[in-house]
Amino acid sequence: MDFLKTLDPSWSFLILFLPLFGSIVWALLGGTMVKNLGKTAGQRIIGIGATAFVLIAAVLAGGYALQLSEGAIFEPVLIFDWISLQNISIPFELRIDSLSVTMAMVVAGIGGLIHWYAAGYMWEDKEFSRFFTYLNLFIAFMLLLVMGNNLAMLFIGWEGVGVCSYLLIGFWYKDKANSKAANKAFIANRIGDFGLTLGLFYLVYILAGNLTALGIEESRWLSYDVFLPHAETIFATFRFETTIICLLLFVGAMGKSAQFPLYVWLPDAMAGPTPVSALIHAATMVTSGVVLLTRMAPLFAQAPIAMSIVALIGAITALLGALIAFGQTDIKKVLAYSTVSQLGYMFIACGVGAAWAGMFHVVTHAFFKALLFLCSGSVIYAMAHNQDMRNYGGLWKKLPITTILMTIGFLALIGAPFLFAGWYSKEAIIGAAMGGGTTYQIESLGISFGELAGIIGLIAAFCTAFYMTRQMWLTFMGKGRWLEIEPAHHDHPHHEEALPAAPAHDAHRFFMSDDEMKALPHEEEHHHDLDKSHEPKEVPVSMWMPLALLAVASTWLLAKPMNSHFQEWITGHEPEVHHGGLLSHEQLIPVAIGVFLLGLGIGIYWYRKGLPKAEGWDMKAWSKFRRSALNQFGIDSVFTDGSSAAGRGLGKFLTWIDVNLVDGLVNGIGVLSKGIGGALRSPQNRGLVRQYAVLMHLGAALLIVLAILKLGVFN
Amino acid sequence: MGILSTLLLIPLLGAVAIALVPSQYHKAIKWLAILFSGVTFVASLGLINQFESGTFHMQLVEKAEWLPQLGIGYHVGIDGLSFWMVLLTTLLMLLSLIFSVYVEKRAGAYFGMMLLLETAMLGVFMSLDLVLFYTFFELSLIPMFVLIAIWGGANRKYASKKFFIMTLAASVFMLIGIVAMAKHYAATTGVWSFDLVAIQAAVADGSFWAGAMQLQPIIFWSFALALMVKCPMFPFHTWLPDAHTEAPTAGSIILAGVLLKMGTYGFLRFLLPLFPESSRDFASLFMILAVIGIIYGAIVAAMQTDIKKLVAYSSVSHMGFVVLGIFSLNHSGLMGGAYQQLNHGISTGALFLMIGLIYERIHTRAFKDLGGLKAQMPIYAALFLIVMLSSVGLPGTNGFIGEFLALIGSFQTGAAGLYGIHWILPVLAGLGVILAAVYLLIMFQKTFYGPITNDKLKRLKDLKGWEIGLVGVFVLFIFWGGLYPNTFLKPLEKSIAAARMMAINDGGQRPSWAEPTHEISDSGDLMRVAERTETGGWHEDYPGELVAKANHHFLATEIAVELPGPEEMGHGDDHGDDHGDDHSEEGDDHAEEEEEH
Repeated sequence: MDFLKTLDPSWSFLILFLPLFGSIVWALLGGTMVKNLGKTAGQRIIGIGATAFVLIAAVLAGGYALQLSEGAIFEPVLIFDWISLQNISIPFELRIDSLSVTMAMVVAGIGGLIHWYAAGYMWEDKEFSRFFTYLNLFIAFMLLLVMGNNLAMLFIGWEGVGVCSYLLIGFWYKDKANSKAANKAFIANRIGDFGLTLGLFYLVYILAGNLTALGIEESRWLSYDVFLPHAETIFATFRFETTIICLLLFVGAMGKSAQFPLYVWLPDAMAGPTPVSALIHAATMVTSGVVLLTRMAPLFAQAPIAMSIVALIGAITALLGALIAFGQTDIKKVLAYSTVSQLGYMFIACGVGAAWAGMFHVVTHAFFKALLFLCSGSVIYAMAHNQDMRNYGGLWKKLPITTILMTIGFLALIGAPFLFAGWYSKEAIIGAAMGGGTTYQIESLGISFGELAGIIGLIAAFCTAFYMTRQMWLTFMGKGRWLEIEPAHHDHPHHEEALPAAPAHDAHRFFMSDDEMKALPHEEEHHHDLDKSHEPKEVPVSMWMPLALLAVASTWLLAKPMNSHFQEWITGHEPEVHHGGLLSHEQLIPVAIGVFLLGLGIGIYWYRKGLPKAEGWDMKAWSKFRRSALNQFGIDSVFTDGSSAAGRGLGKFLTWIDVNLVDGLVNGIGVLSKGIGGALRSPQNRGLVRQYAVLMHLGAALLIVLAILKLGVFN
Repeated sequence: MGILSTLLLIPLLGAVAIALVPSQYHKAIKWLAILFSGVTFVASLGLINQFESGTFHMQLVEKAEWLPQLGIGYHVGIDGLSFWMVLLTTLLMLLSLIFSVYVEKRAGAYFGMMLLLETAMLGVFMSLDLVLFYTFFELSLIPMFVLIAIWGGANRKYASKKFFIMTLAASVFMLIGIVAMAKHYAATTGVWSFDLVAIQAAVADGSFWAGAMQLQPIIFWSFALALMVKCPMFPFHTWLPDAHTEAPTAGSIILAGVLLKMGTYGFLRFLLPLFPESSRDFASLFMILAVIGIIYGAIVAAMQTDIKKLVAYSSVSHMGFVVLGIFSLNHSGLMGGAYQQLNHGISTGALFLMIGLIYERIHTRAFKDLGGLKAQMPIYAALFLIVMLSSVGLPGTNGFIGEFLALIGSFQTGAAGLYGIHWILPVLAGLGVILAAVYLLIMFQKTFYGPITNDKLKRLKDLKGWEIGLVGVFVLFIFWGGLYPNTFLKPLEKSIAAARMMAINDGGQRPSWAEPTHEISDSGDLMRVAERTETGGWHEDYPGELVAKANHHFLATEIAVELPGPEEMGHGDDHGDDHGDDHSEEGDDHAEEEEEH
């Protein structure tokens, strides 16, 4: 502990570099290690090493947190000069403050636990080392995103995590659907990034023009510590520009943090391995938008229009995500939409000027949502990789530990009062929203955008309690429905596949010979179907151990002390008591308990007899509402299919233009001059090109003579 | 003989040596070619020591008389801009010759042509005499034409002719322009000169165009047309997809990596310094064409079924960013554009190399024959991924820095409304960044993901060691350029700042290459200095006399320091609009100030 208390800030680069180093080592040596040391030893080194690098980073971040809590203030830590021009310099430097170390601890702490779990989950995968290469790289970029001291560094991390997400969604690349989902995620994020970069450019424009007026003399004026203290002065003057900048930055946040309508990539991203869903698509990467808005809170404070829009979009997303979850049958999809919905809450908080409450929810949500995802991973692991909840039921007898752990995550998510983490952070958000913040008043309703968002938040909280109860009940309670599946009779005739024909010429030894082909390790894709003969097995202790730690962190043990200190920790000033607004803190508590009980109660009542007919395999029996919820109320098809159809149409049109008009013109001229060339063709000189060249140079000579004569005027 | 002339001579000697080797000694010819280009590369590394990045003046200058009565001379020299182009040329040539060991057909002619091409390209980037430049500019055409016509793909005849005729036809205009420049120089000074430094000096003090402003746009366009076809800009790009697709791999690398850059290099070397008013007047037009090229190239690229054609169209899109940056006439933008030239050479060169590696194996470029390669060739897939991401412009790779600076610079100019450039142009160009992800990810998916459908691929081995090393050099520069771009930006900076001031300042306030007392200070101002260091730089501590202040073209309004009262906070709507109007007026004012200079 003493060591951590005296940790010098210059060591902070290790927080980024340890995971990065790990990633490079696994990329270069991972394959060799597994091959030479054997699968057990090699994969153990990789799994333990990767986990250790990340956990050490978390401990280092904890050291700085400790020092900060004792009142230390750190200067930005310069690592190297990144871009430096005569009018701007963007150094590669780290910021150590309460926000960055909190996020670093969450990212590396939860990340480490997920690494630990993943070492078990991915053990049988042939590309174990590739998986940990990506996973460690992701942690490095995510840490860069939260710890960088300017928006350009945030952007490196931002894009870097996007690429890791792309690679991990498409990790099982042989299935086309996975790589499609990966592309969709990357492109949807790029649309958001477009907004983010424009916002950055506009910010640069406003800042750069006013450096002298503000008295900024440093060339690294894009660094947070240089320009953010001036935010109030400058942005109060350029109110219109600030609103535009904030909205553009928010577009970036919408892409990464899956807000309506750019959320469409997140559900598809579940194609990745479950630890990836837990780490990237629930706990860390998708919250970067909230981190961005928290960082930029001084700007947003000057732009009430932008704040209102953020709150509204957050509320819409919170409710929409919850409603779509009603119609999902895939256990991971339910959690994915729940993530979308919870991210909406975080933006409600940012919108009403309580970004700290949003960060609070980021932290608690990271723990319990990672827990829920990993537990669902354990269920999927136990159920022969079948993810449809309609096959589950009664699993609590088979998977007692997973049941207990997942129940804790469940109670935390739906905000079970006082004992669980979600209660505290959700209550903080809705409480702040009910205060209204600085958002606009909606005249016709008589309430502000913030208050409206708060009300929607309460409705969404009810929905959350209901659909999560549905998920828990369908999975763990009732009868085991997989026992009704008759085993399909597959014939697996073991025939030797004929070798593909060898190429006739292979002077450079590009191809494998018959002997080399036969020496290849035989790939057996043995797939085990889920049927009544299946016996679900609990995951080994090495896998549920990290989950137990996450479960402990999902209770009041972590959240209650945070509840009283977090606002001061992030914002630096004492919590204010809100007066006015729709509901005071004291009024909110019973309402929130009521919402929780109602959702839970109706859910249990509805699903007490197991899977209702109206949600079964026969889709025709489904209610209209549930069917459209399954299809995201058509939003995905409008945005994704619509835009790709439009893009394809435009592409065909432009290609046609290119071939027929632009190129056609060139070829037309070619034909014309060929005609002239043909007329001038001499019998000896048949080479067409030589003809052209001669023609060209004759013409050129003529033109030059003309030009010289013409220009003689200037003599 | 100086280092520059030596660099020009070595490849030429190599070509001669190869011509002397009987054609049956394939191996000897290949080794000889690699040896000569290797020596050229090593010799060019010598520039790094000798080059002084603290000045914008031409360095390592060599001059000799050629046709003195016409004012034509042998005059070579380099500044920051040509410094990197020379190094890029020698590096790419060495790498593509190493790859060319796979060439079997008429090796003697092939390697001879490649070395001849190297001399021509180096000459283009070193020439300080317009006629010398034009000679090398045209000389580079012939070997490339032959390379495509003989060693190209199925449609090589058509592609090579189209390439040759289009670029030649356009460059004829430049020849006319060059003659006109010399003629006009004679008209103003009484002596003929094709010397770039001399002509630019006359432009810089304002005497050249004084009284002949109507002539400037005409000659400007005669230069511009040739360069626009070369780089290529929409709508003159149609030779590129065909030439790229049909060219042999090494030809494609050189074509994308170096030959296209002659166009944008020409913009920086000739258009901005020699035609300041026209450069400003037509900047918005160039920006519009660049933006069309960026979006159009990207969309058409996404529709291709041939992997090489896809990359060819992506070049149209990527070169748009170079032009965008240059004609933003903003320091960051110009730096981005100039840097993007190098990056495009590395990234797209690497992409063509990667495609060449697979083409040598399976002799197909159609997506329908590829697919699932990742399982078969994991190292190849990983390297391809890195190269692809650099082309996407991922931060941390070289592609990002150039595009980012070009966009940020053009946005500054657009937001201030300078030179008639509308803010929507850089915004639309930003869409190109999204589209780049679309077509490149589609390319990667179609090539590497999914199951293997083509039986031919099932026996493929992964890359050989030396091939990995070859790609590794590109990967090294991809990360170096992205993580520590200062290495590459620093030598460029003074030359770029000077080129910009040559274009936007008024006569008498423009830097002149011929004026040894002119220097650019670290904050970008033009100073007159007296004491110079031995290497040609200037003493940092010497207080120079300010000639012109660097104008960064950012919004330069004094802001009101007092805060608005709380009652005003509520109605940002109305105020917001007011501010918007104020602001654009400020932009206009600023533009007018610019004009008045």
